[in-house]
This record gives sequence, C-alpha cells and structure tokens, in this order.
Amino acid sequence: MLVAEDVHRHFEGMHAVDGVSLEVPRGQITGLIGPNGAGKSTFMAVVAGTLPASSGTILFEGEDITRLPTYRRARRGLVRTFQLPSEFARLTVLENLLVAAPQNRGDSLFGALMGKRFWIKDEERLVTEARGLLKRFGMSAKESDYAGLMSGGQKRLIEIMRALMLHPRCLLLDEPMSGVHPRVIEQIQHYLQSLRADGLTILMVEHELHLVEQLCDSVFVMAQGKLIGSGTMASLRRQREIVDAYLVG
Amino acid sequence: MNTYYAANLLIYAGVDIIAVLALNLQFGVSGIVNFSFIVFQAAGAYAAAVLSMPPHTAAEYSFQVYVGGYQLPFPIPWIGGALAGALLAIPVGLVVLRKLRSDYQAIALLVTSIIANTVINNARPFLNGAAGLALIPQPLQDQVDTYGDSYLYLYIGLTAVCVGLVWFLAARIVNSPYGRTLRAMREHELAATALGKNPVALKMTMFIVGGAIAGLSGAILVGFLTVWAPSTWLYPETIILFAALIVGGRGNNLGAILGALLVPVGFEEVTRLLIRMNIGPPNLIPALEWVAIGLFILGFLWFRPEGVRPEPRRVFEGSPDVEVVDRVRTA
Repeated sequence: MLVAEDVHRHFEGMHAVDGVSLEVPRGQITGLIGPNGAGKSTFMAVVAGTLPASSGTILFEGEDITRLPTYRRARRGLVRTFQLPSEFARLTVLENLLVAAPQNRGDSLFGALMGKRFWIKDEERLVTEARGLLKRFGMSAKESDYAGLMSGGQKRLIEIMRALMLHPRCLLLDEPMSGVHPRVIEQIQHYLQSLRADGLTILMVEHELHLVEQLCDSVFVMAQGKLIGSGTMASLRRQREIVDAYLVG
Repeated sequence: MNTYYAANLLIYAGVDIIAVLALNLQFGVSGIVNFSFIVFQAAGAYAAAVLSMPPHTAAEYSFQVYVGGYQLPFPIPWIGGALAGALLAIPVGLVVLRKLRSDYQAIALLVTSIIANTVINNARPFLNGAAGLALIPQPLQDQVDTYGDSYLYLYIGLTAVCVGLVWFLAARIVNSPYGRTLRAMREHELAATALGKNPVALKMTMFIVGGAIAGLSGAILVGFLTVWAPSTWLYPETIILFAALIVGGRGNNLGAILGALLVPVGFEEVTRLLIRMNIGPPNLIPALEWVAIGLFILGFLWFRPEGVRPEPRRVFEGSPDVEVVDRVRTA
C-alpha cells in the first residue's frame, strides 16, 4: 500500500533519515519505534509531504508521490496527524471535523458566493456524518465547544476524527497516545482496532511499547536515521542489537 | 452640521467600512497580515483617476504628467479601480505568499508598501510623483451638477450601494464552508494542508479578492476627493485599518464595520474637534492621535484581543445543550 524506497532527509549535513526503505501492508497497523532523535517523525513528515525528501522514492497505491505536495497526498487518501496537538483552536469541535470533509460545494469561492442554497445539502450530509463520528468517539456533547478548550486527550481524538472525515486509505499517526490520560488511551486503542477491522491501513509512531505490542501487526525500528530492524514486537525483543539500541528493559 | 461635512463623514465611513471588510477577509478570517493593504487602495484610486481623466496633454491638465488618461464614463473607473487592486495582488501575492512564513510575509508586505510609495513619489512621469494627481473627474459629472447638495446625496447613495455589495459578498464568504476552511488555515496552516487544503491557493484567492475590494474603496475615495498623492497612502494608514479591525473584532464583519466607525472615522472627528478647541501647540493633537491609536491597539490586544464584537461561535442546528465556554483568548 505504502512503500518507501531508500528515503533520505538531510538538514545541513545532518542525516535525520538515512536511506530508509519499508513497506506498510494494506489493512494492518504498522508501528514505527525508536529512541528520541531516531528520525521517526521526520520520516513521517517526509511520507506525508510536509517535508520534502532529499532523495528516495515514496509509492502510494503503486504511484510515485515523492514530488506531490502534502495537500495532494491528503486528497489521495494519505492523511497524517501531528506529534503536537494541531486542532483549529477557535473553531468548534464539529467545525474541526467539517473542515476536513471533501466534496462540499460550499468549500470554494464560487460555491461560497452562490449562497447557502447551493451548498446546504452537502453541509447537512456532512454534519450528519461528523456527528456519527463524534458519537462513535464519545464526544457528541462537546460538538459546539471550541476545540482549543479541549483536554489533550480530546484533542487527539479530534485529530483522529478529523482525519477520518477525509475517508483516508492510509493514516499516519505520530504519537497518538502522547500526553493522553490512560482511560482515553484505552479508548483510542479500541478505536484504532475498530478502524483496522474496517480495513484502514495505519502507520503509527509510538513510544509506549506495550501499546505497540498490543496494536501493531508488524513493527519497524529506527535509530540514528536508519532502519535497524523489523518484525513483530516479540521477534524484535529477541534481536540483541535492537534491544541494545532501544528496547532496554 | 452642514451637508458637506455630513456627506464627507458618511463617504469616509463608507470607504473605511469597505476597506476594513476587505482587511477582515484577509487578516481577520484568513490570517494574512497584509501590511501593504493601503497600496491596493492606492492602486484602485490611481487606476480610477487615469481612467476618468483626459490625457495629460489636455489644456487644463498640462500642469501634471501621468500615464493613460482615457476619459471613460462612470462606472468604468470604479470597476477599473477594483480590477487594478486585484491585478496588483497577483504579482505581490505570488512573490510574498508562496514561500515565506507568515511573520516574514508581514515584513515583506510592509516593505512592499514602503517601496511602492517611494517609487510613485519619485517617478514623476508615471503618476506625477509627490505632487500627485489633481482635477480628477467626479463620477457622472458630465450628466449632473456636482456642486449641489443633491450630488452629495447621490455620492452617498453610490457609496452605500458599494458598501452593501461588499458586505453581501463578505458575508457569503465568511459564513460558508469556504470561510470555515479559511479560518482553519488561519488557526493552523500545516494541519489544514494535511487535510487536503491548498494554503497558497486559499491565500492568493483572498489576497486578490481583498485587493479588488481595496481598489474599489480607493476608486470611491478619489472620485470624491478629486485629488490623490503618495502622502495620502503612507504605510501608517494600513495600521489605522488594522487598529479598526482589532478594536471592532477580527473575523466578524459586524465588528469590522464597528471598528471602521470607531477608529478611522471616530478618531478623525474627535481630533478635528480638539484642534478647533485650540488645545496646546498646533501639531500636538494630530501627533497625539497616533499615540492614541497605538495605545488603543495595545489596550485591546492586552485586555480584549477578540475586539468589541468577537468572532461568533458557530453552533449548528440540533446541537446538544452545551455549557457556555469561555472565549479562546489569543493575543
């Protein structure tokens, strides 16, 4: 589904991503782990297009997307979330979801100038869809609150719901559990499993190894910009050099 | 209060409302810190002037030099003014909005404003340099008597029609899903991009739309004043419009109108009254006006950053009861 071939990203001589090649299989949750500064988030940014690759190729559904800008990758179904909360603070929770929705006739200058009658049906359909997601994620009561006033965990949920409004084919999650209350972590874990059951492909950077173990079908390990191993968590724990590099304890 | 004074006040109010509504689309809704806004108003004014004036070789106009001079009838000069603002926005936007980060965009636009004013000030053959243009024909002056009160009422009416039109367009943009996308871009550009939004296209569109509206405001103003010179569009004029929007309420069209009435119109009138009262040395009150505007901006940013009329929270029909949430305060 998603293939990275010899991807490099350099910052003025520093090799943040140094020749990473990996394949994310369709319909699975794939983990990407490694110590701080391993280059995981940089790699995710390169895959999503928020940072250009210095060299290498990224294939999505068999097509080369290496030179595509981020918004075009998102429109093709490759959608990312961010390591830090990136909610639209002065938009309500429901509006945060609606922004992401494609195929709204009012989401262009022409459509806007045509007036409400031109786009109201699309808007109503998308509000219904967004409310369905809010209900699924237990946030219906918050729909009219400003997203900026939500807790860290709720912001994470908003990001995931927002991404889902785009009907992604592959979701790139950058530390979705970071700074989240344990109870909400359980919720997110449950939702991710149900998304996988729906057939969604997920590539996830995560530091909590027990979560990676529970969630991910396969895992890639990065250190110092390079891929140093891959497999299930159980198999990775048996590889001494990986344990030494990262899985201490 | 005589008719001319009242008309002057109303027409200035109309022009300022149009300008602040345009700035609201750019800065309030889309987050583009357009510190060169006044340049687009000036472009519209100059375009309307040279479209309505005869060639500078004409007997009465030979004391000034300028390009063009087409003697086109109303409303072509006003339409031309709006077009000039829009056309100017394309190259400026392409240079400034594509690659630069938003804080650098603001600096680049401020510098653009200063460069544009300096160039027009010194390039006399283009638009008569520092002396500016004079004897600019007024709209419909061949058809109606421009010296009577009835012409003032006509001009107020024409300005009001333009205010209504701009208000209508701005309301449609702000209250649409497109307006929501613009607000999302303002809040977190990278996240909006990751959701399939093209920020450069969005910014360019609002830069051009805002440029057109600014150009129209300039055309209206120059048709009333009949003169236009670089000294009327120095960069601090943009700061006044920003002050109006910050005071009125960013992201809210009603706030933009309120701000336009409070700051550019209100301050000017208060200053005029104080000057008549002969308080202090002759230049004290105009100088203090700038101090007051600066303090006004700082005061609002500190104590009420959302302005008098904050951007409304959009609650959709069928929303469950929600507790009233505090406004998100952003400085």
